[in-house]
Amino acid sequence: MSSFDTLHILNKSPEHPRAAQCLALLSKGDALLLTENGVLLLSAGRLPAVGKVFALSPDVSARGLGNPVGDVTVVEFGDMVSLSLQAQRVISW
Amino acid sequence: MSTLIMIDQPPYGSWSGREALDMAFSLAAFDQPASLLFTGAGVTWLKRAQDTAGIAQKSVERNLSAAPIFGIEAILADRSACQKYGLDESSLITGVTLVDANGALLEQYDHTAFAG
Repeated sequence: MSSFDTLHILNKSPEHPRAAQCLALLSKGDALLLTENGVLLLSAGRLPAVGKVFALSPDVSARGLGNPVGDVTVVEFGDMVSLSLQAQRVISW
Repeated sequence: MSTLIMIDQPPYGSWSGREALDMAFSLAAFDQPASLLFTGAGVTWLKRAQDTAGIAQKSVERNLSAAPIFGIEAILADRSACQKYGLDESSLITGVTLVDANGALLEQYDHTAFAG
């Protein structure tokens, strides 16, 4: 079970100032979980270079982003729980 | 007295966008010429094939399809925002006109209103 330093949960759209803040703080060994409007980052084509990226499946399909391109793992709600257990700390942006 | 309703908020996650749509529909229902302009993250309203079952919400795609019936004159989308979100003719819903959301466009309308 790979563990992460920090799991960043981002539900803000890419236009929201907090989205840029979250991406700026993402460091190696962290994970980023995109939920709600956060999944729009997948279509805005700017996935971060560091950290492992996950996206919540119901939100991805709600925005018609079916099979996202790039290094992102689409997860279900249950996986969200296990992700947060794998992290030393969780920040909900 | 024509009105341009601008929607720059993404469709899900907050209700402000839907309120703007209701505003536009009520204007049009009272024969006030109204058009919709989507800018910024708002253009993601116009993505084709939105499957919202998982988030228990009605797809905004269906709301938008009622726009012509209500008498909405035009559904406009800002070109640069569409590029930013990877949207082109093949991924946008039908009936959307790409425009540049600049001063010249806004001058064509007596009133411009935002959602939330």
